[in-house]
Amino acid sequence: MVGPQYDLVGNPLGAVRATFERTAAAAASESGGADPVAAFRGKDWGAGDLFRSFLFEQDGLGKVPVLDASNLGLIKPNTLVRYRGMVQDMLGNEYYIGAFKDGSTWRTNKYTDFSPFSMPHPCDSHLWERHLFHCVPAPGQNSWTLESSPGPDVRRMPNCLAPELREKRKRDGDDDAMDVSENGHGESSFCKKPKEGDVHVSSSSTEVAGTVPEMNGGDHHIPGSSFSCLVKIYDMPESQVKLNDVIEFIGVYTFDPELAAPSDNPDDIMLDLMEDVTVQLPPSKVPRLHCLVWRKLSSHDFISRPVVEPSPSLLKGIRQSLLSHLTLVLGNDELAAQCLLLHLLSRLRNRVDVVTVGRLSLNFAGFNKESASIFGNQLYSLIQKLVPYSQAIPLSIDYLNSATLQPRKDNKSGRLVTGVLQLPQGTHLTFDETLLQTGSLTSKGVENTMLLKNLMESQKVDYDFEYYKLEMAADVQLLTLSEGKSNILPSDLVVPFRPSSVPTVNAGAEETESWRWYLATVRSLPQSTEPETYQMIQDEMVSAMRDDRSLGCSELSRWLTMAQIMASSFGEKSLSLEHWHMVKELERLRKQRMQ
Amino acid sequence: MASNAGGSSPPSASSPDGRPSSPLPVTNSSPSQSTRRSGGRRRRGSASPYASSPSLGGFETPPHPGRRTPSRAGAGAARQQRQNWAGRFPPTPSTPMSTDDIPPSSEAGDDETDGGGGVDATPVFVWGTNISVQDVNAAILRFLRHFRDPRDAGRVDPVMDEGKYMRAIHRILELEGGESLDVDAHDVFDHDPDLYSKMVRYPLEVLAIFDIVLMDLVARIEPLFEKHIQTRIYNLKSSICLRNLNPSDIEKMVSIKGMIIRCSSVIPELKEAVFRCLVCGFYSDPVMVDRGRVTEPHICQKEQCKATNSMTLVHNRCRFSDKQIIKLQETPDEIPEGGTPHTVSVLMHDKLVDAGKPGDRVEITGIYRAMSIRVGPTQRTVKSIFKTYIDCLHIKKTDKSRLHVEDTMDIDSSNASKSTEEDFLSDKVEKLKELSKLPDIYDRLTRSLAPNIWELDDVKRGLLCQLFGGNPLKLPSGASFRGDINILLVGDPGTSKSQLLQYMHKLSPRGIYTSGRGSSAVGLTAYVTKDPETGETVLESGALVLSDKGVCCIDEFDKMSDNARSMLHEVMEQQTVSIAKAGIIASLNARTSVLACANPTESRYNPRLSVIDNIHLAPTLLSRFDLIYLILDKADEQTDRRLAKHIVSLHFENPNLEELEVLDLQTLVSYISYARKYIQPQLSDEAAEELTRGYVEMRKRGNSPGSRKKVITATARQIESLIRLSEALARMRFSEVVEVRDVVEAFRLLEVAMQQSATDHATGTIDMDLIMTGISASERQRRENLVAATRNLIVEKMQLGGPSMRMIELLEELRKQSSMEIHLHELRGALGTLMTEGAVIIHGDNVKRV
Repeated sequence: MVGPQYDLVGNPLGAVRATFERTAAAAASESGGADPVAAFRGKDWGAGDLFRSFLFEQDGLGKVPVLDASNLGLIKPNTLVRYRGMVQDMLGNEYYIGAFKDGSTWRTNKYTDFSPFSMPHPCDSHLWERHLFHCVPAPGQNSWTLESSPGPDVRRMPNCLAPELREKRKRDGDDDAMDVSENGHGESSFCKKPKEGDVHVSSSSTEVAGTVPEMNGGDHHIPGSSFSCLVKIYDMPESQVKLNDVIEFIGVYTFDPELAAPSDNPDDIMLDLMEDVTVQLPPSKVPRLHCLVWRKLSSHDFISRPVVEPSPSLLKGIRQSLLSHLTLVLGNDELAAQCLLLHLLSRLRNRVDVVTVGRLSLNFAGFNKESASIFGNQLYSLIQKLVPYSQAIPLSIDYLNSATLQPRKDNKSGRLVTGVLQLPQGTHLTFDETLLQTGSLTSKGVENTMLLKNLMESQKVDYDFEYYKLEMAADVQLLTLSEGKSNILPSDLVVPFRPSSVPTVNAGAEETESWRWYLATVRSLPQSTEPETYQMIQDEMVSAMRDDRSLGCSELSRWLTMAQIMASSFGEKSLSLEHWHMVKELERLRKQRMQ
Repeated sequence: MASNAGGSSPPSASSPDGRPSSPLPVTNSSPSQSTRRSGGRRRRGSASPYASSPSLGGFETPPHPGRRTPSRAGAGAARQQRQNWAGRFPPTPSTPMSTDDIPPSSEAGDDETDGGGGVDATPVFVWGTNISVQDVNAAILRFLRHFRDPRDAGRVDPVMDEGKYMRAIHRILELEGGESLDVDAHDVFDHDPDLYSKMVRYPLEVLAIFDIVLMDLVARIEPLFEKHIQTRIYNLKSSICLRNLNPSDIEKMVSIKGMIIRCSSVIPELKEAVFRCLVCGFYSDPVMVDRGRVTEPHICQKEQCKATNSMTLVHNRCRFSDKQIIKLQETPDEIPEGGTPHTVSVLMHDKLVDAGKPGDRVEITGIYRAMSIRVGPTQRTVKSIFKTYIDCLHIKKTDKSRLHVEDTMDIDSSNASKSTEEDFLSDKVEKLKELSKLPDIYDRLTRSLAPNIWELDDVKRGLLCQLFGGNPLKLPSGASFRGDINILLVGDPGTSKSQLLQYMHKLSPRGIYTSGRGSSAVGLTAYVTKDPETGETVLESGALVLSDKGVCCIDEFDKMSDNARSMLHEVMEQQTVSIAKAGIIASLNARTSVLACANPTESRYNPRLSVIDNIHLAPTLLSRFDLIYLILDKADEQTDRRLAKHIVSLHFENPNLEELEVLDLQTLVSYISYARKYIQPQLSDEAAEELTRGYVEMRKRGNSPGSRKKVITATARQIESLIRLSEALARMRFSEVVEVRDVVEAFRLLEVAMQQSATDHATGTIDMDLIMTGISASERQRRENLVAATRNLIVEKMQLGGPSMRMIELLEELRKQSSMEIHLHELRGALGTLMTEGAVIIHGDNVKRV
């Protein structure tokens, strides 16, 4: 509608206001002087649509810079940015003067923290509300996901660059885009970021996990990384967003040093409790994002590969290459590779009371410290390249006794203090139990093991709210490496690991890319239910029970899960007898090993 | 103007100096009327120092340009706007803001007219509305004077000639204690729905009038009564969910349930300041605090002094009032899935301070308010953001437990003061009672227990009994009988025992779930151990913390160490736990029901062996379980098929649960906790008779005709179990009486459990001896036979004092003679018996007759 008039990236608020004032004027003339703005409460008057069409229809998405720790200070306030993060805490809602009458025109404060025009002291105004979410970069997010959708380099966007930096740039030369030195500098700094991530990521699992307690200890106000963002969302029921959702927000980045001025006054001590939590997230440290458009991210969104129809033949080919790679990484243990593939493809599909359907946690037994460091690291770095979010946790007595696994509400600050187990859906966790020695656990250690066990068994994490516990549903893939079968983390599937060679493989980027796509695609494949399959499986189960009386409900249920995943791994939408038999054969081999 | 109607207008931005208006008290109840001036809600009373100012004949003075002062700000603004009257002075669009600036004195003079009941002929309206002040005034007076509790009707009472609230007022005057009058909003609604809706929509104005009317009434009854009486409204018709508060609720009366998570310390708030001149020592008159500000006199007022800037605050002459801010958080049941609880600040004054502690669940009635945030002391810019809080009018603690319900049935329901406390949950209780009246409640409960665990109906019934529990009994003699029902599940692997346990753990109010493997009964440390051979790690989770008054679920009971198990003896009968630590033996209460499940020793249940042999539990411990269920995986195509169907349906996302009428988990939990708390069934005479009859019959059954041997079928322990079971069954129906049918069902449950566990596999009859001693009667018979045969053999074959004989040889001989199959260990046992008789001596494998 008004696209060309305003630079939507450089001056989004201008566009917002223009649409508002126009719509308000139109409404006013229509209603004949009655309050025209009242109807706009909790509604969009067209600004959202304008940005949506710009971003998704006119291909504007690529022009919006991505806000991250590296360019935090560079981006000019009140410009449009993209931000991807996990909803770490929900801070309730905030009331603000949404619209006020300035003389005879109505103005709006939507998408901003303070009024761009001085509000005449007493004036007609409307109080609106918006939701506050505290977002952090998704814990355990792997570096490759950051490359998937890079925004333009802020340094090359004069209209988005903070003024002082722009000054500097001007001196360098006139032609922004073609400036060689600037270009080079921009590129290098942009590429450096993922590299830094790589270093961190490929370090041994111990080191990665070693940082975890440290990150969560100390200053609990800034959980995990020091970079977080306060996102303000408009016009939507809060229930649409859930805790731990990973979301891409596109909105107005604001930062105002004026607002950062300390407002503490000794005589205001009584107001201390009235203070909302945002006070602990000063705008000088935590950027504000007024969200115009948002969408939940699934693992597909991290894959830059063009959309391809997932035909069974295509999937089969990729499956074969992935499986052979897994086999190599696992020292030619094909059984283990098969199980690992099923494990990687598992996801929580259904939850009936205490029963969870679809999960398949895996326990590789037979490791010792040496083999765990060789195979474990290889395995973990492969997993990092395959799934969007992953973490490795060294399960030592020390770790159990000291780590903060449980997210906890700090009622004093009103914030949710994150714990290691506050994870986005679909995270992969690798536990290294070979580090566990005999020793005594403190009460915290016991609590932590209970949490882990509960996560394994029912895919739920209890969040501590001081006066009660709140169960949050999780969907986490759990892999345990242990010496013997782990009783502390009872997995669905225990596979004794028998490698016959040392892993020495490196996968090409192209291949890795296709594997990611494969995993994401297969995990989201729908499963159809045909009555025949239904009957066929029942018959199979009955005959299996006849052959082996020790089969129980949980075991058969696991078989069915595996068979379903097996079918999807070939790109099939429904389960056939063939897959069932493959699983049975797998189980037979596994049981052989168990003896 | 119209834009502000309906109360949806926000308070305007705060004053230019950027100070937020402080959340000043709405419910200030200090004795002197004059202090009320500083409150967010101004009170007009005859004691006001401004009472002498000229009356303007209205509830609020109209805006008067000449009287403007720049001090009005923030939260006061909106209130001011609305309180302005629109009757005779319809404000122009710009006037609402100007009303901000009414000086404090402007409203003071109204009292003579409307305090007296609104004699003024000119209708005065609450600003921006069509609410007439006089009408409201009259309505309140009518309500206070004439409201009669319908529940009082028909009661003969000397004070019945007066209404409920007049009596309450009299009571306050007599006691001189209460400074507040609690007004049930339901009463207001019943009496005058119109007044109720006005009160909820315009609480600031209506409550101000309420207070005035009240003070006026009091003044007429007792002219010398000086204290101010506060109106506290509670029990609104509808309470709002904390998360659903939104801008349109601002300045409305709301009622919110939640949990207090934090309390500030009590803040003394300056009400009246007194200044002293540093030069001459003159004390000033008390200066009122106005919206958090005190204006320090510039000049000493003493004629002789007149020194400038010499006044200093005298702290101990100032007057302070209590104030506290608490944080209220949503209760867990209101939080949607995947959300975090919302919080809101609540402002408490005077008497309400410290009325609740962190962790309390409360229902708060108050006024939802907003105030603007000052950006900084130096900034002129005003943030567009508002803070919200609730000005508390009334706080009511709701019970900490999940359910708070009416007292026992026999209390007269007309007892008004009691029932009001409990009203709010009564609908929930009603629903539960409704449920309890269903004819098929027993079956329905059974179905609702772990609906996705298929079959095992009788086991589930037993578990239900455990959840409801029997009545513990304490005799005057000191003997006590436990009311808790202990259940043992023994069964093949893969028969969803563990799932049942997990489910029970979820249901029971204070459930503990533990695994027998690595549980020491009362140890205090947790330890990780590693199996040196397999490298398997095991968590020895120290304290098997026993859940007092809950269900303690022990998985893998058979794996429990003997030491820990022996601890359970005490728990299961005496209901205490003794801990010996540092020379002190402490005995702790452990009134817990034990639900244990065990796997048979040989991984699968061996039907040829007895229960004892199968699970390796001490018979003494075993006998303490009221019900022992064998969950056997019988090779049965039909059951297999059902299991398969069940699993498949779970996976294909069409579990056929909807057709069954089941209670959801939440309802089930409330149902059980209500029953446990409030239903104490007693045995009826008929039921007791039936119990005796049944027991006698059970014992008789042992003497089956044709069987020479006597089998003890039931013991006194079983009678206790039966009583507990029948009581639990009566509780399920919310029945105070144990009826015959309960006893019959209890017998059936016991028999079902015993048929499975106490069947003597040699004879097929129930044999409690099997549980009591581990040896069945027929087995005992067999042993006796063997001993006799051995004795005969020895007498026959061996010389007294002669050479010894090898045991193997003896066995050979015995086998030749007897048709029975004899094992070496059996022979050894028999020889042991003979040795105690002094007939033989055993040296290793050699037997010698003496």
